[in-house]
Amino acid sequence: MGNPVRRELTRRDIRRGRRKLAVLALGAVGLAVALTAAAFFAPDRAAAAAPTYVPADPTQIVATVPPRDPSEVAARQALAASPDRVDLAVDLARTDIERYRRLSDPRYLGRAQATLGRWWKLAEPPPDVLLLRATIEQAIHQFPEARADLDRLIRRRPDDAQAQLTRAVVATITADYAAARDSCRATAAQAGPLVVATCEAPLDAIAGRADEAYTRLARLVGAARSGDAGVRGWALTELAELACMRGDTDAAAGHLAGALALDPDDAYARNLLADILLATGHAGDASRLLAGREQIDSHLVRRAIAEHDLHGPDAARLVAAMRDRIAAAAERGDRIHLREEARFALAVDLDAARAVRIARDNWSVQKELADARLLAEAAVAAGDRDAAQPVIAWARATGVRDATLDRALRRLGGIAGPAGEVVR
Amino acid sequence: MRAALAAIALCMAWGAATPAWAHKPSDAHLRLAVDGDAITGRLDVAVRDLDAALELDADGNGEITWRELSDAAPRIADYVTRRLTLGADRMPCALQLGAPALTELSDGAYWAMPVAATCTHAPRSVDPTGGFVPRPAGGAVGVPTPHLASLDPTGGFAPHLASLEVGYALLFDLDSLHRGLLHVAGQTTILRDPQPVQVALDQATSVASFVREGIWHIWMGIDHILFLTCLILPAVFQRRTQRWIAADSLRDVCKEVFEIVTAFTLAHSITLVISAVGLVALPSRWIETAIALSVVAAALNNLLRTIDARWAVAFALGLLHGFGFSSVLIDLGLPSHELIGALLGFNLGVELGQAAIVVALLPALYWIRRTVAYQALLWAGSAGVALVATLWSYQRWVA
Repeated sequence: MGNPVRRELTRRDIRRGRRKLAVLALGAVGLAVALTAAAFFAPDRAAAAAPTYVPADPTQIVATVPPRDPSEVAARQALAASPDRVDLAVDLARTDIERYRRLSDPRYLGRAQATLGRWWKLAEPPPDVLLLRATIEQAIHQFPEARADLDRLIRRRPDDAQAQLTRAVVATITADYAAARDSCRATAAQAGPLVVATCEAPLDAIAGRADEAYTRLARLVGAARSGDAGVRGWALTELAELACMRGDTDAAAGHLAGALALDPDDAYARNLLADILLATGHAGDASRLLAGREQIDSHLVRRAIAEHDLHGPDAARLVAAMRDRIAAAAERGDRIHLREEARFALAVDLDAARAVRIARDNWSVQKELADARLLAEAAVAAGDRDAAQPVIAWARATGVRDATLDRALRRLGGIAGPAGEVVR
Repeated sequence: MRAALAAIALCMAWGAATPAWAHKPSDAHLRLAVDGDAITGRLDVAVRDLDAALELDADGNGEITWRELSDAAPRIADYVTRRLTLGADRMPCALQLGAPALTELSDGAYWAMPVAATCTHAPRSVDPTGGFVPRPAGGAVGVPTPHLASLDPTGGFAPHLASLEVGYALLFDLDSLHRGLLHVAGQTTILRDPQPVQVALDQATSVASFVREGIWHIWMGIDHILFLTCLILPAVFQRRTQRWIAADSLRDVCKEVFEIVTAFTLAHSITLVISAVGLVALPSRWIETAIALSVVAAALNNLLRTIDARWAVAFALGLLHGFGFSSVLIDLGLPSHELIGALLGFNLGVELGQAAIVVALLPALYWIRRTVAYQALLWAGSAGVALVATLWSYQRWVA
């Protein structure tokens, strides 16, 4: 018992025991602190109720809406009085769809649909309703439904250029290039060569003929200096896409600046320009280009990525805002922001596996070049060649040549050769 | 090119100070809490949406002031009471709306109305359809007085509500993409049309599902299992002065394993919680790589015998594993309402899962501790795990 070695051992054991106890106690305290913190931070998450306030100043403006248009009010009243008047409903719905286009505010899509509610579920509604229904379906990414409605409409009104153009867009998104080309060409009589060329540009580009499409479209745009601003803006945007595919980002930026000069609210052109700036290492310029336009998710995600890359002062706020929007969309069951979500996962969260998952879901819905690039780049980041298989197959089948996509596919180990064959 | 691009970008940037209210489809939030048979909560509806329904912008100038809005309060209350019905356990409830205020969500100001409901306990046979009668709104919210019968312990009905019926018919006729988001009992139900929906108030189900997810995750997450196994493997051998000998009492072994598991549990619980609530966010690539490295470390420690206090290793490296668990939990979609329940449930599941592994492993190890098989398992197993985990670390880092 009195053995000094034994005593020494016991003391050491006690010391060790105490240390152990201290660490475990520390852990328990830490757990308690963390749980308390969770209780306080939990209300900040999406579903918890936000704090309320009562404005002290009765003249404080709490919301802004489009100023009331007396003729629109009159039309609504007339429609309420005679709910069967499809002409009134179509006019009102068109006004809201126009607002949606200008502001990228999806509330107006829902309102347009509600205005058409009486005809919405009919198998064969009046042609004007069919066109608007297809437009709304396309905007909320119900591409098969939109396509069916457009096919139906074109059977009844084959000369409807707007229907043909919308059908070309939907068919391109769903990779039905033959149908898209038919529709583009069907507009020739009503719409003229610039519209046909602009419509066909992405089809030529995806078929690997970006160079000739670029030359042709550039010539037509140059000749149509005084045409319809909407068409010219669209043509310049397509021209920029072609320039991008050829790797000429400088020219692309110039075309997009032209498109934005025609219409500063062209969200598509602005996003494309921001993408070019981001890809060429000009995150600061991309951020300035989108500043103040964060209402639109597709602008917000790009600005968040830019500021995140720059470690800018706004980065944390923008990243948090984008997270909130993604959570809010998920909460209401929306899956139409997959592109933005995948990009965000890839660039901000650096979660390549998640980005791949989302980009694949997105690819199953839409198959534009941007979607192909996204899935390929996510697959590169994840080192997951199998995930990119659908895009590799698509590139092989179409023979598409695109600077960004080619680079990604090359990094995946399979490069699309000039003839479209894949060499290792 | 840089200068040209910068010039383009600069001349097109404008209005950086405008409020960036999100453009999103229309949602309204109905949050309800059920306590006994009292229902309380809040309904948030966007001011813009109310304007579409009720023309709040009295002067039509496109700017809705607080005065215009508060003047319209009775009309709003009327609109809501005509279009919102609550029922509980197939009994109708009288709805009361409280004094409204404003709240800011990502897409602008919302009209926030406190909601309270008292449910009359009508005999079920009277209303076999389960329909409920909307009641006119009361003036201000009072704390709903519990029905007398519910105070009676011998009352002929359950004092706690088992389900809610919500009939929500706001705005759908004006905006087909409008959604009502009903948050109750830790679940969010998406209301897409005026059809009444029934929500079960059985909270145990949602917590139970997180317990299941926790168990599942630890069993499927081979890296967590290997980490724990590496720490436990040498427990049946103990250092006596300078030599390692087989432990002679199962009690000592159990005590040591208990310490290791407890330390691991505490550590990963802490990081699971702080990262699940968003206090700390680390890139998943770092976390996954670090977890793989922690397995390497645990395996190497068995070969080199550097640190005897494996509970300390379990604690230090267990912190990393918590971050890994939380990413799973976040992927599952954390219910913010019942965050604590979900966290505790998931964590409990993880503990149960690892306890099952330990319980299966320990007796076997104790049984073979004096055999060559155990030595082979300890040395070759640890070496193998170290090798595989090193490979994982590399893969996860370059991925």
